[in-house]
Amino acid sequence: MQTQTVKMVITGPFNSGKTAFVRSISEIDVVSTERSISSEAEKVKETTTVAMDFGRITVDDDLVLYLFGTPGQRRFDFMWEILSEGMLGFVVLVDSSRSETFREAKSILETFRAYAPTPYVVAANKQDLPDAWTIDDLRIALRLEESVKMLPCIANDKESVKNILLELLYSILEEMDEEV
Amino acid sequence: MKGNLRDFSGTQILNLVSLAKKSGTLGVDRKDGKANLTFREGKLIFAAIGDADGSLASVLSRDGRISREQAAALAKRAEKTGDKQIGLLLIQKGYVTQADIVRSIKKHALAAVNQFASWKEGMFAFDGTSLPDTSRITVPLDLENIIIQIARVQKRDEQLEEEIPSLDVNLKFVERPTVALKDLQLSKDEWRVLKFIKPDNTVRMIANSLNMNEKQIRRVVGSLREAGLVALTQARQREKLSPDERHQKRALVGRLINHLQGIGAE
Repeated sequence: MQTQTVKMVITGPFNSGKTAFVRSISEIDVVSTERSISSEAEKVKETTTVAMDFGRITVDDDLVLYLFGTPGQRRFDFMWEILSEGMLGFVVLVDSSRSETFREAKSILETFRAYAPTPYVVAANKQDLPDAWTIDDLRIALRLEESVKMLPCIANDKESVKNILLELLYSILEEMDEEV
Repeated sequence: MKGNLRDFSGTQILNLVSLAKKSGTLGVDRKDGKANLTFREGKLIFAAIGDADGSLASVLSRDGRISREQAAALAKRAEKTGDKQIGLLLIQKGYVTQADIVRSIKKHALAAVNQFASWKEGMFAFDGTSLPDTSRITVPLDLENIIIQIARVQKRDEQLEEEIPSLDVNLKFVERPTVALKDLQLSKDEWRVLKFIKPDNTVRMIANSLNMNEKQIRRVVGSLREAGLVALTQARQREKLSPDERHQKRALVGRLINHLQGIGAE
């Protein structure tokens, strides 16, 4: 029997923690396309994803979940639409401690919503940092409706990442229920 | 004369001041900023709105004629000497000409009037005794044509709201554009919107992606439609699943949930 594959996309601004998110939960070493950062302005970290991060979770012999992390920088956004094709849902990661990225996070969210009308959740990453904005404040800053799930997240903590993915799956079920 | 812009619009007030040739200052108080528009015999002579305080340094800086640093230094100096002295100094030193100053002030005043006319609410009061101090440079701006222009734009916006009542519709390129492509001259915003025309993108999504408000996106879509380049279509609905497909998808999601719940517990 042929293995069925499903896909979830992890997106968000530059340095929001997408690569760490996929790495935390993937059962294989993440296939990453990281390159050194050339721009001085963006040197808050050494490398960045230029095409995608690819992770895998094998459910059983005939079902595999693929996780695709998108590149965060706008100049690689041509990859976004390709990655979003056929996705089950998507996670928007926001760095809760860097308010200068909130506008970009909102814009990315809207762009992905436009690509496909699939369920999504917003993960407020880096909630363990002292400067992290609270979930309530972030919801206001991102102008998110109450119906949109906004969840605390620590991308390098497997349990936290697991919970985000579970919430996304619950959202998919809830949306299917609403459609009936 | 006082009230709320909710009940008496900005355009109506400007029209009244212009027709009655009133002199004085119209003050507007809103949550997100204040405005003071001063008139002499029905003509606008001074405008301060929001952060744009109408001072010469601010006006020239916003128009790109002097740098921010220069503006900050001049603003400090203007506290002692007044704007007229600053203007003379700038002309003598060759930084700007008198015509530059007049042009910049008119541009500022026009922007202020347009911004004021777009406000839908805010307490206003007209004080017939208040005029700018004599050290200010005042350039009279005839309001008649401006009011007509603003009214025209507002009417066009109302028409667009009727033509595009919902932003939850899609755009598509028409197969045979009525305009010759070699004659096509599009604004930056129109190009940006064109880039986002895809089967899944509603007008609202495009507006959000481009940080445009409803009025701005309606104007752009309206002009693209008038140019015969795009047409409106119904938004793509989420794929409807058959009961069988729904059952399969539910089972699949259930398996994913079960598996994920088990991660870490093994």
